[in-house]
Amino acid sequence: MNIYSYVLRRLLYTIPVLLGVCLIIFVLFNLVAPDPAFILLGKHATQIQIDQLHHELGLDRSFIVQYFDIVKSSFTFDFGYSWATKQNIYEMIKNGAGPSLSITGPLFIISNIVAISLALLVAFYRGKLIDKVMLIVSIGGMSIPSLAVVLFGQYYFGYKLGWFEISGYERGFPGFVPYVILPVILYTFISFGADTRFYRTVILDEVYQDYVRTARSKGLNEMVIMFKHVLKNSMIPILTNIIIQIPTLILGLLFAESFFSIPGLGSMTINAINNSDFPVIKAMTILSALGFMLFGIITDVAYTMVDPRMRLK
Amino acid sequence: MTEKILEVKDLVVEFRTDRGAVKAVNGVNFDVFKGKTLGIVGESGSGKSVTALAIMGLIPNPPGRVASGQILFNGKSLVNMEPGEMRKIRGNKIAMIFQEPMTSLNPVFTIGNQIEEVIELHQTHLSASERAAKAVDMLRLVGIPSPEKRVKEYPHQLSGGMRQRVMIAIALSCEPDILIADEPTTALDVTIQAQILELMKKLQKELGMGIILITHDLGVVAETCDTVSVMYCGQIVESADVKTLFNHPAHPYTKGLMDSIPSFDSTSGHRKERLQTIEGMVPSLFNLPKGCNFQDRCSKVTDDCRGSQGDPVLKPSKGVDHNVACFNPLN
Ligand SMILES: Nc1ncnc2c1ncn2[C@@H]1O[C@H](COP(=O)(O)OP(=O)(O)O)[C@@H](O)[C@H]1O
Ligand code: SF4
Ligand SMILES: [Mg+2]
Repeated sequence: MNIYSYVLRRLLYTIPVLLGVCLIIFVLFNLVAPDPAFILLGKHATQIQIDQLHHELGLDRSFIVQYFDIVKSSFTFDFGYSWATKQNIYEMIKNGAGPSLSITGPLFIISNIVAISLALLVAFYRGKLIDKVMLIVSIGGMSIPSLAVVLFGQYYFGYKLGWFEISGYERGFPGFVPYVILPVILYTFISFGADTRFYRTVILDEVYQDYVRTARSKGLNEMVIMFKHVLKNSMIPILTNIIIQIPTLILGLLFAESFFSIPGLGSMTINAINNSDFPVIKAMTILSALGFMLFGIITDVAYTMVDPRMRLK
Repeated sequence: MTEKILEVKDLVVEFRTDRGAVKAVNGVNFDVFKGKTLGIVGESGSGKSVTALAIMGLIPNPPGRVASGQILFNGKSLVNMEPGEMRKIRGNKIAMIFQEPMTSLNPVFTIGNQIEEVIELHQTHLSASERAAKAVDMLRLVGIPSPEKRVKEYPHQLSGGMRQRVMIAIALSCEPDILIADEPTTALDVTIQAQILELMKKLQKELGMGIILITHDLGVVAETCDTVSVMYCGQIVESADVKTLFNHPAHPYTKGLMDSIPSFDSTSGHRKERLQTIEGMVPSLFNLPKGCNFQDRCSKVTDDCRGSQGDPVLKPSKGVDHNVACFNPLN
């Protein structure tokens, strides 16, 4: 099947899912959540003020119309204005995306390269000393709560040794670099243990396959066998693991950005939650759902690229 | 006398396991000659594959190792050869194909890539386009139709027989002196089996390599080999040229194998199921009896066989170059 028609079809499939997500958002925010008038006007508002606000927010219209407002926003990306900052939400997201990507981008790439390389290394030296040492380090890393790692890192490397910035941000490259180094290092440390163990298992599943014996019988050296033959066969489970990290990566960075005072989407979302800033929360929920579905499609296309036996269906 | 290219002398391969050390190969001797085929026959577990892997320097270590003995390739010792030097021989001077054609190729690389890989490794003087052309030539040589198209395909697009042909193409692309074929047709059905054996014989005539053909089927040996060694429990119990062995089998085990060759049914055109198999089981390597390893399954067994005379050793029988390890040889 042609890759373009496949992607197109998958994109069409996201429409019903998106309608469902919008329905859930509508039910939660417009039906279940408390009246926004309490949040925006406080306890002592008059009925006239409340009615006026409802009219401004469009809450006096029928439910159907309100629901389709949400649906419309997920296509136009016009999410209205923040209650807390009065800014256009689309602009806020645009401003926050840069700082967020300046952490998630490097973190995503570095943490996965570290985990895959370490996994290849320990799989190569399976049973040897380095494998055993890495087992202990990995389990150790997995057992320490991430908050403790962040606090220790900020205190020791940032405050005590003064090597890194621990708070703040500067827009634009290379201005942001000093501010993202420490979070990238710490979050790589937080994730590498579990990832390395998982990738090691995946790679060892391949190491005893017959095609590896064939590769040896050709006279290839072990490095080529590992990095060419074994790695490409391990890519399916590894890719799956990498891509399912993405939502958790974003959620995790909700807190990371707050810990390091980085003005990204994570901080923005946390602030919105603290201020009951419904429009921003809705916008972020819709974007997460869209992102999740998009990564699903990317995963499936990537599978077919690493494994010729996979067919697009 | 043709040129001797490989000499295996008193080879012992040991595996350390949780239940103690076992000698999977225990004092094996044989020679391989240029342009000739040596058959190694024996039931499953007799140490045939381990012998082959020892020659390739591919015994998994740990748990295994060549404990003693020598493997001389053109007079040069392969045991304990420096790994980089051994890699230059492997796939280049000595190549191997395996029993599992379905899984021996890497599923995620094209056929062409997997052939070119070995050419690139050992024939460094060839350019990329020459390698690509040679990959196509090799596929044509092993009888794969429309090779230009096939090089771009992946293993899963080929049948088992075709994949074994690809394996042969890989093995022969550097024109090795020796081809080790470890049960190359066991996983294939009978017609394909005959085609593959035919192909190997034809290529041997063209390229002149020595072949070690490992099989558990004496029928295959009869069709393809010049000399035969029969293995049992890690030892060679009988060796001879193929005619002598079939006309005058001296070891009761060889005779047993011969009686269990599936015979050809001329009316249906299919091989019949085995008429007779050797009764009893191969003893565990952890628990070999005193004396002859075959004693519990042998109809000729006498008291001599149970250890009072020591272990039977391979010694000349009646014919020239016909050796047998038995206290009561047949004929
Ligand atoms: N990796 C291994 N670890 C432990 N023992 C092994 C290993 N490979 C082979 N052996 C031992 O060697 C014996 C002979 O195996 P093999 O050479 O594969 O027999 P076959 O004649 O069927 O090819 C096996 O029965 C087993 O006891
Ligand atoms: S030595 Fe004895 S037991 Fe062993 S094969 Fe010969 S006759 Fe049989
Ligand atoms: Mg075998």
